[in-house]
Amino acid sequence: MSAGESFWSKAWRKFLGDRFGLASAGIVLGYFVIALGVWLDLWGQQWSTLTSGSNLPMSSAHWFGTNLSGQDIFDRAIYSTKTAFEIGLSVAVLSTILGAILGAISGFFAGRWSDEVILWLMGTLDSIPFYLFVAAVAFALQGHPLAMHAAMIATFWTTTARVVRGEVMKLKELEFIEAARAIGVPQHLIIFRHILPNTSHLLLVQATIVFVSAIKSEVILSFLGLGVQDGVSWGLMIAESTQEVIVGQFKNFFAASGMLFVLVMAFNLFSDALQDALDPKKVH
Amino acid sequence: MLQYTLKKLLAGLPLILGVTFISFVLMVYFGPDKTYELAGKNPTEEQIAQIRADLGYDQPFFKRYTNYVIELATLNFGHSDSTGERVTRLLGRTIPISLALTLPGFVLGNVIGILLALLAAYYRSTWIDKSIMTFAVVGMSVSFLIIIIGFQVMFSSAYGLNMFPVRGWSMDTLGEYLYYVTVPTLAIVFVSLGYNTRFYRAVIVEELGKDHIRTARAYGASARSILLKRVLKNSMIPIITRIMFSIPLVVISGSLLIESYFGIPGVGKVTYDAITTGDQPVLKAVVGATAVLFVVVLIVTDVLYRLFDPRVELK
Repeated sequence: MSAGESFWSKAWRKFLGDRFGLASAGIVLGYFVIALGVWLDLWGQQWSTLTSGSNLPMSSAHWFGTNLSGQDIFDRAIYSTKTAFEIGLSVAVLSTILGAILGAISGFFAGRWSDEVILWLMGTLDSIPFYLFVAAVAFALQGHPLAMHAAMIATFWTTTARVVRGEVMKLKELEFIEAARAIGVPQHLIIFRHILPNTSHLLLVQATIVFVSAIKSEVILSFLGLGVQDGVSWGLMIAESTQEVIVGQFKNFFAASGMLFVLVMAFNLFSDALQDALDPKKVH
Repeated sequence: MLQYTLKKLLAGLPLILGVTFISFVLMVYFGPDKTYELAGKNPTEEQIAQIRADLGYDQPFFKRYTNYVIELATLNFGHSDSTGERVTRLLGRTIPISLALTLPGFVLGNVIGILLALLAAYYRSTWIDKSIMTFAVVGMSVSFLIIIIGFQVMFSSAYGLNMFPVRGWSMDTLGEYLYYVTVPTLAIVFVSLGYNTRFYRAVIVEELGKDHIRTARAYGASARSILLKRVLKNSMIPIITRIMFSIPLVVISGSLLIESYFGIPGVGKVTYDAITTGDQPVLKAVVGATAVLFVVVLIVTDVLYRLFDPRVELK
């Protein structure tokens, strides 16, 4: 190892040496390609077409058979990959940005009134039961299709903000910040140009954790009727499968939960590998 | 002690006001309007005005919020808009059901989680640790809904063991209680075990690395005494924190999915129905109770810290 090796190239090298991390990153990438293909109209477009029969067995025409309404299960499961990535990415990116900004302000002004207000907001949001909050937001937005996304972003940022706050409180005492102050760099530049970029490794890990939480929450919210409003998702598929498993039809259930499980598992392992590579202090 | 509790309660006021305010804006002010549901067919202008006055819709925003805070302080929430049942009675009926439903799974999930974590941490990097942690990651990756459906098929349907009821609830006798609570409990334990084991293992691994443990090992202390007397005792602070802060959410929303899936009339289901129908007295009471519960948990947690670690001072 060269003495001048940067933090990121060191992390990258560590990550490349992690077999599970690489394999899981490959699986996540595979899912992403599937989602991209749906988005580009390459496949999975027949998800709502009604075919001749309901609960058809597996065949060359319908690889995973059809559901109770006679829709192709394979196409629905493929199309839902796009839905999952839309939810996961939008919630992860926006809640991480929100958490980073508010956490940085709160940490930089620790003990002052702006910190108190942000801490109060975090405590308050954490104390409202999540599913009730989503239900309330859905009704307040009159069933808007993005109500679920909005509710997740509004609540998921608090964990990120707490992590960033702690790190910023440490960073702001370091010498390079003192130097920036001494030469008169304005406060907002110190926070957003000098301190916040130094928390990006934490933000990356947090974003992967939020991604997983978002697609897992989608399943439960869709079952409760609060989730995806237009299109199809694994959650909606599992919700409709509850009508089918009682008559012994498991294809829909297995297709949706299998796709969901593999993606979540791969993302969890990927997130772990990322943490191992980026956090030199992490214990195993 | 009394002075400390009062001071803490006072410090908890902003949290209670925050939770009730945000919930009030979302659930009550922007929530569903019940007027036309109650008005019946072809209501006259006066009838509508009368109903709106009865429901308190005609009053200005801050008057309505202040009324809510007064209701919360006096614990007088009136009657449910939907059923006419007294709200305090409704909660007194449904909260015990939710507790009886979720408590066994919550306790078992934490106890088994701690035991697995002790085992994994003690045999760190061996096959024991690796199998436990693989199991934990798998557990973390399965959706709660999938577990519930899967367990229902496995234990309660003709496609599986067919030993337990598909849905429903009864606590009249111990036998009936066990009959209905078993499958939900298994689902709760399974879904929480992965997260719990991972969290507790990290805590215990850190504790095991400390100097006093190395000394105890050097003196030949047994694995049992090291783990239970030294490690577990010193890990109590993060363990208490995790358990205590999940209590309010376990009571209210943790049971919502289970309750709606198995058709159990607990407080989660009642609250969810209250949101979708706009039953404001019920909503106000549940949200207020959750906020107060959080502040109580905050205080109890501090006291527990003091009990387990004499260095902690209550101030």
